[in-house]
Amino acid sequence: MTETILRVLALLAEGDDDPALSPGQKGRYSPYGRQGLLRRAAPPLRLVTVLWCILLSALSRNAVFTTGILAAGLLRLALLPGRSLIRVLQRVLPPLGFSVLILLPGVFLGHPRTMLTISLKVLTSLLLLALMSIDLSWKEVTASLGALHLPQVLILTLDMTIRFLVLMGRLCQSMYEALTLRTVSAGGRRYDRARMEAAGGILGTVFLRSGEMAAEVTEAMECRCFNGTFRTYEKHRLCGADLVCGLLLPLVTAAFFITGR
Amino acid sequence: MHIPDHYLSPQTCAVMTAAVAPAWVVSIKRIRLDLPLNKISLMGVGAAFSFLGMMFNIPLPGGTTGHAVGGTLIALLLGPYAACISVSMALLLQALLFGDGGILAFGANCFNMAFVLPFVGYAVACLLAPELRNGVGNTAAGSGSHTDPKTGMLTGASSAGQTRKKLIAAAVGSYAGINAAALCAAIEFGIQPMLFRDAAGNALYCPYGLNISIPGMMIGHLTIFGLAEVIFTVAIYAFVAASAADGSSAFSAAGTFTASSAAAHSAGGASAEQSGTPLPVKILLGALIVLTPLGLIAEGTAWGEWGVDEIAATGAGYTPAGMANGFSFNAILPDYSLEGLPDWTAYILAAVIGTALLLIIFRLAGMLGSKKTGASAA
Repeated sequence: MTETILRVLALLAEGDDDPALSPGQKGRYSPYGRQGLLRRAAPPLRLVTVLWCILLSALSRNAVFTTGILAAGLLRLALLPGRSLIRVLQRVLPPLGFSVLILLPGVFLGHPRTMLTISLKVLTSLLLLALMSIDLSWKEVTASLGALHLPQVLILTLDMTIRFLVLMGRLCQSMYEALTLRTVSAGGRRYDRARMEAAGGILGTVFLRSGEMAAEVTEAMECRCFNGTFRTYEKHRLCGADLVCGLLLPLVTAAFFITGR
Repeated sequence: MHIPDHYLSPQTCAVMTAAVAPAWVVSIKRIRLDLPLNKISLMGVGAAFSFLGMMFNIPLPGGTTGHAVGGTLIALLLGPYAACISVSMALLLQALLFGDGGILAFGANCFNMAFVLPFVGYAVACLLAPELRNGVGNTAAGSGSHTDPKTGMLTGASSAGQTRKKLIAAAVGSYAGINAAALCAAIEFGIQPMLFRDAAGNALYCPYGLNISIPGMMIGHLTIFGLAEVIFTVAIYAFVAASAADGSSAFSAAGTFTASSAAAHSAGGASAEQSGTPLPVKILLGALIVLTPLGLIAEGTAWGEWGVDEIAATGAGYTPAGMANGFSFNAILPDYSLEGLPDWTAYILAAVIGTALLLIIFRLAGMLGSKKTGASAA
């Protein structure tokens, strides 16, 4: 589970470092396959559409709307190139399995529908997010958040959080590995207790290290004259794809109300 | 032809599952050995065709309905072993998600529609036109060109008469296949009252004997449903063959189990990921999805697919005990419908979900297969 979370976060943080990308392509669009119609739409518009769909799916009181959105997501998934298909499923299935596991007792307590409803919503949300991450690089997401006039400090914090989570996670993992390799024990209660104490040590070390890393980042920012304000150098030209994506928003909203919310 | 739960006794279901299991095992082995890896994803396209074909219900005077299956079509496009697995997957999805066909009767349904239908259809078609074994690229309907079975390249011209012969063979094969499958289903229904009765002499499961089940099933399949299968098979086969004529279609070369299959299998590993569904086939699938609500025009229930509440009114006069007391499985989208949504919208939604899932499953299988091949080659 830890490895999966780390992998997903690393993919987010390093989304633009794919070797398949030429330097000119980095940060512009997803490298996975051709640019389809919707991929040509403005990233902020795509981000808002996806988030709006997720919000409406969560708010819907019956399965109709959610199933409709899920069907559209599955169709999109089926048409993705092979590598992207695998990546989306890698991101969707582990958390979905975890949520099913958590809700499983409900089935034995006589509420199978609850598990089905929540799992359906979880699947829809995860699928939409995973599809969005395939279509939008992390840089495009932060640029979109900026275009939507979110406070710069919020975007900076979000960006830093993702990157720090990856770095800290890796640090934790390597320290734990090092500790395990240096421990000789036949197991048992005493060994478990020692392990728990070591975990506390790891967390403390990581906490101290995080302070050092934050100071290093601040120094690096000062050296580069970066005051936390992001600038977008590439400007998006309006095209037909924007119109299609823009039409999706009212259509989805109308579908939400027609299907009885 | 989808046998629901409780029409067959659990014993019959077990026997039918045991009968079809070797077919699954052999089919998977043959697919691994002979079918190029980049064609495995096309099994998903075949399964999607079959799934959609089964959604087009056709009415028959008397209130019964039926549909095409498309097993022979997949057998002609990708080989009978691929057809067996493709139709089985389509049936599994129908049973689990849409409640079409029983969970216990899944083995029996697969025996009829995924084993008997494609193998009989393929055998009859190949008996009439042996060149059908060389794959769809060899047909090249209307173009006059054909594919070399060894290289998969277009090499020359074939006569329009030969093309017509293949299409006629496909038509006869599909007709024979669906009728053989219907006959098997009729026999499975018909032997139930002979084998399983309660103390009062009432049937425990399907109440109709062979004297009723065989005509009940076969009249529809020998006439309208058989014709629907023929039209479905020939129309799509001719369409795919025409799109394969220029060699651009993924179906065009080494599509079935030919002499070149072994070579193509190893070569296919590298290109498994690159292989996609041809655009004309995608358009055809999209058109079929949009047109699926036509299947709702047919009112009534297919012979042998009545609900527990309907069986007494069909002429049986009672509800068999095995049916009344059997377990019930609640599918997510029962009968391709969703509460709160018009039938036609729910039908399209079900078609989209089913098609997408089948495409995803078979593409994943193809990619996993290519990874394994790559690992063993390394």
